Amino acid sequence: MIQLKKVSIGYRAELLHAEKLELEAGKVYALVGRNGIGKSTVIQTISGIQKQLAGEITMNGQSISGFNPKEIAASISLVDTRFEGVEYLKVKDYLALGRAPYTDAFGRLDSNDWRIVEEVASDLAIQHLLEKYTDQISDGERQLCSVGRAFVQETPVILLDEPTAFLDYINRKKLLELLVRLSRDKKKCIVLSTHDLDLCLDQKVPFLLAAHGTVSLHEALSKETIIEAMS
Amino acid sequence: MKDWTLKWMFICLLCFLPLAMYLHLISGQIELSFSSYLDSILHFDSKNTSQVLVREFRVPRLLMAMMAGAGLSLSGMFMQTLFKNPLAGPYVLGINSGASLLIALSLMTGVHFFQSNFGLIGTALIGAFAAGLLMMLIAQRLKSQITLLLVGLMFGSFTSAIVSILESFAGAESLKSYTMWSMGSLQQVEFGQLGIILVIFALGIIASFLLVKPLNMLVIGEKSAALLGLPIKATRMFVLLLTALFAGLITAFCGPIAFVGIAIPNLTRILFQTTNHRYLIIGNVLIGAIFLLLTDAFIQVLEGQISIPLNALTSIIGAPFFVFLLIRKLR
Repeated sequence: MIQLKKVSIGYRAELLHAEKLELEAGKVYALVGRNGIGKSTVIQTISGIQKQLAGEITMNGQSISGFNPKEIAASISLVDTRFEGVEYLKVKDYLALGRAPYTDAFGRLDSNDWRIVEEVASDLAIQHLLEKYTDQISDGERQLCSVGRAFVQETPVILLDEPTAFLDYINRKKLLELLVRLSRDKKKCIVLSTHDLDLCLDQKVPFLLAAHGTVSLHEALSKETIIEAMS
Repeated sequence: MKDWTLKWMFICLLCFLPLAMYLHLISGQIELSFSSYLDSILHFDSKNTSQVLVREFRVPRLLMAMMAGAGLSLSGMFMQTLFKNPLAGPYVLGINSGASLLIALSLMTGVHFFQSNFGLIGTALIGAFAAGLLMMLIAQRLKSQITLLLVGLMFGSFTSAIVSILESFAGAESLKSYTMWSMGSLQQVEFGQLGIILVIFALGIIASFLLVKPLNMLVIGEKSAALLGLPIKATRMFVLLLTALFAGLITAFCGPIAFVGIAIPNLTRILFQTTNHRYLIIGNVLIGAIFLLLTDAFIQVLEGQISIPLNALTSIIGAPFFVFLLIRKLR
């Protein structure tokens, strides 16, 4: 689904290099690497907001740099870790913003849009939050809402920048299982940056390892190999 | 907040608006009969003093109060959403100062950027837009919402310093006209100018409703909005242009009016408890208009004894409210 060819990732100087990566639909990829190595930059580069220094990123054979903002929004969604909530913005309205790429010039939502919001809320078990304000729920709940918004956007590719950072162990495990299941059921390609090696190993997800200036794909890795590669 | 509560609030406000208009009309110093209002519209007689009073004073002042209240509130709402900062407003962030500076330049140096009626509007609009642009460039480099306020304050001091220097060079006549303007008044507009102001104002309102979706998206931040397909640069320019249009238009004709633009959008948001700009726009227009009508009615009632500048009265009400917002925000 997503292909990276000789992509050089960074702001001015190269942080990481991806020689050849192929990310498929129906899978969750765990992007791991040490603090400051540039995981967020990798995610931002794939999302199209950060231009790569060199190389080409394609989606189904088409170069992403040729996409206009609307095409990007209908193809790739990105969840930033730091959604702090907005006063008087309800969770359901926040989730519904995920429909923005598809609504008319006035942003009006039809019954189908609301059905998708309800469906995602039930998938993520956050129906009880729908009527609450986004600044009055816990960090963990807010993080689930951010992930929800990406699903409401219904893009084939979903990028998540440390989606489990504020969650407790049980919720981390649940979210990861859910992502694996949804990626399979809805044929989505999900990339998430994380430090939860154990949980990812349990779920047997493929790893994108960012270390020593390169990003590389590994279908199966042991914990020891990862730790050794990172240090 | 349920939808029906919102609807009831709109109905209440809509009922209250004519009442506020009525209060404003009857609070003038000279009592005028209802028939002179009717006659001045239906068959105007320029020799009838009451009818002239209606045409030249009461009606322009009424309409200007409503447009100034609504326009400044909308302008503040745009800035608060664009900067993602509830403490932003055309006055505190120096949009008024930008307009004032250019108007002072044109009034006191005698160099007019444009001719005629459009002159003042155009001058104020350019000043307001330039100040808005500057603030936006600076805001992008700042993390703290409070820092932006300080920058706005500094910008205000800087422009008023330039104005002071200009004043010391200016002749008595131009100095007087600038001082009169800077006190803020709703009485400077003539009947003939009303048409053009109404048209610009109406166009601004229509344009505001076209911005509902982008504004609703901007609520979650520029980056997230961009990822949802919003063309950020174009949106920014459009929002800023409208901010400057309202702030510039009002500043040109009424002088600086402080704190309305920051207080009313916050009041509206607290009352309506929503981030949906479809409701916020209507709310700001209604509450802003009602607020300034009542404020100006109060000034009119006292006019026999003392004349309070509008800017002073809005500051006396608005500044404590602003402090309340600061405390609420920074607690």
